[in-house]
Amino acid sequence: MRDIPRQITLRQWDQRYEQMQKAGIAQPSYGGLLSRHIEDGDTRLLKLRYDNSAAALRLWNFLLTEEDRLREARDRGKKIVGTMKDLGTVPVMAYSLDNVVAFYPDGAWWTPCVMELNAGLLSIADSLGIDESFCPVRAMLGAFVTGSRFPIPELLICSVGATCDDFSAIAQRLDGLGYPILWWEIPHRREPEPGEESVKLPGGFSAPRCQVEFVKAELQRVRKALEEFAGQHLSEEKLSAGIRKANQVRRLLAELRRLVFTARLCPMPALEMLIAEMLAIHFCSDRDETIAVLKELLDEVKERIKEGTGLLRDDAARIFWVNPVADLQVMNLLEDCGGRICGTEYMFTHALDEIPENLPAMEALAQMALADPMVGSSADRASRICAEIRSPPRLPTRVGAAGGLCAEAVVISRIPGASHCALEGQVIGEIVQAELDVPVLEIEVPSLTDSIAQALRTCLEALVEAVRERRKK
Amino acid sequence: MKRIIYSCPYVPAEWIAAHGLQPSRVIPDPAKSASPIGPIEGLCPYVRAFLNEAINDKRAYGVVVTTVCDQMRRGFDVLTRQCNIASFLMNVPRTWQTFAAQNLYLDELGRLSRFLVRVGGNSPTPDALAEVMLEYDAARASILAGRGSISARQYAEAIAALGRNGPDLRANALAGTGPLNEGVPLAIIGGPLTRGDFDIFDIVEQSGGKIVLDATETGERGMCGPFDRRRLHEDPLAELGNAYFGGIQDASRRPNSELYRWLGHELAARAVRGIIFRRYVWCDTWHAELQRLKEWTDLSVLDIDVAGDTDTERRRWQNRIRAFLETLT
Repeated sequence: MRDIPRQITLRQWDQRYEQMQKAGIAQPSYGGLLSRHIEDGDTRLLKLRYDNSAAALRLWNFLLTEEDRLREARDRGKKIVGTMKDLGTVPVMAYSLDNVVAFYPDGAWWTPCVMELNAGLLSIADSLGIDESFCPVRAMLGAFVTGSRFPIPELLICSVGATCDDFSAIAQRLDGLGYPILWWEIPHRREPEPGEESVKLPGGFSAPRCQVEFVKAELQRVRKALEEFAGQHLSEEKLSAGIRKANQVRRLLAELRRLVFTARLCPMPALEMLIAEMLAIHFCSDRDETIAVLKELLDEVKERIKEGTGLLRDDAARIFWVNPVADLQVMNLLEDCGGRICGTEYMFTHALDEIPENLPAMEALAQMALADPMVGSSADRASRICAEIRSPPRLPTRVGAAGGLCAEAVVISRIPGASHCALEGQVIGEIVQAELDVPVLEIEVPSLTDSIAQALRTCLEALVEAVRERRKK
Repeated sequence: MKRIIYSCPYVPAEWIAAHGLQPSRVIPDPAKSASPIGPIEGLCPYVRAFLNEAINDKRAYGVVVTTVCDQMRRGFDVLTRQCNIASFLMNVPRTWQTFAAQNLYLDELGRLSRFLVRVGGNSPTPDALAEVMLEYDAARASILAGRGSISARQYAEAIAALGRNGPDLRANALAGTGPLNEGVPLAIIGGPLTRGDFDIFDIVEQSGGKIVLDATETGERGMCGPFDRRRLHEDPLAELGNAYFGGIQDASRRPNSELYRWLGHELAARAVRGIIFRRYVWCDTWHAELQRLKEWTDLSVLDIDVAGDTDTERRRWQNRIRAFLETLT
């Protein structure tokens, strides 16, 4: 049941869903009316606009049923591990074990947005001394204390070192509340010094061999803990198979991003693309289903491109977006203002780059962990952003950045209270402007932007206008 | 002598001095007029003050920043873009329970050495390092011995002077200055102090209290313990690493249980009756410990948040500290 691509409201989705039902279009086990999630308190859904494809519906339902999936997994005897902060490396290891499900408790940072503060998670964080001066990820504390958002994992693993202080502090608070954490060290990635062996990391950064060896040893510690937890040996074969599966996800995402970011007409809106990218971090607690969801999304995008259909104006300003937004609605807002996403750096590009399959598994994973854009300098991040904007459209490489994205402006979206946001925007902005001569806008996006929506709109409209003016020159 | 500036307690002054350079631990002054980095929403005022101090310091030959604080790590990016001073970012692990973390710290000292040589220092022999370590050890012992006979402010300033100027036994030999205040014994806990913050010791005394435990980063908590003489002679660098990385407890460590163990011991040993918890606005690492500390201790805790404007904040501190002490007396 194909239709002209457009963005629709939740209520319109319900009507469309009924039509799909009548047409006999099969739904996955977690499928159903999107509006049913409102009963769970996800009231922000009422204010978003969604892509009208069946693929998008599946994506949303997959995302919004993760808690049910985790509980079912536990009921089936699977063990649950919370993998915190590293955004993509330890989950690959965990999913290589057949009786472990990994999830990402940090993901609770979107709960205040999705539930419009109704869950009270932030109030609980307040009562624990973690107030609004911290990043919205503090909602995670409330989620643990109430136990209502996700089943409490039996094992918690958290990377620390070159990470945000806010998250590290919140995780320590969690540890102090009686949720013990296995900490592993990720050092600040630095350039190799003269005479030091250098390793070219996936994605393009470099690190000295000694740092790769250090991280490998740290991940080996994690591997041992996972083995004890699962009661299984995590062999090289299992890890390699896990890496191949993760790469399947990453390849699908690379192709999806390339097609969506470079198509003349935007074939998939920014909001759905943001959610799709997030799946790479921990597969939304079901790796195989993630692959199926992404395949369907990719098929839809290909079909739209073939038909020459899409959304938004064909002269939409092409924006490269840095950092994820705490309020999902801002992705809609950008498009309302005449922009479209043509490149992203949501802090986890290392979870999108393919993991080298020609290296021993732990070496490959250590390289991926060190390729995390957040463990290096802001200048490194800026250089990757510039490289992605500069490079012409091409097929995704086996290892490395996705194709060129042709962005005409960059938006750096600050996360309130995040320790990296105070200074990185200035560095990234200066480098991008100097190297590419494109407009850069820095904005702050809290969990709910309703009270500042007009101000945000004005900023984004001004940016779009600036892009259009530059086209005339 | 060429001066190398730094602020983190995990940078061993002895190591810099052994290279023939002058280590100088900066206590920045946020009130300084020349501020290339203005107030930024979300930026810790201490980080801002340190960066401004480093950018403005025309006499320094090099600056060492560590990764102990994420904002400082990010600040290093700004520093390298805004001034030409030779700069070094030292990886200090947050985890501490593994040999790997300890070895990483030692490796970083090796890397720091290469940096120091690049800016004009000489790679030290083990004997030369041991000699410098003994000098610093004696200076620290001298300061610690004077604790009971000088005011809390003098004590804090003596620790700061050691960091800023190095060991000078004459200067570090502290003499009592007369009858000492017998106020309510308090501890001050938190990150580093800035220059104007030393008034807080006077404010406490004027309000009827006395700081008997300076557990700020610039105070006693930020000093490494005494060196083991046997190990110092066998392998001075390893002992240096052990004393600093193994001996200084901080909120940033993961887990930071040793900080609480250290505090538990020191608070009891000094019969502390109340705690002043001093933290910077936007310092997540210490801010997150406030409530935990309150839950952990039976002592009263006064939260003093600092935004970096000492002059206007002083009056607020005065009132709050006075009220706090009234509840304790």
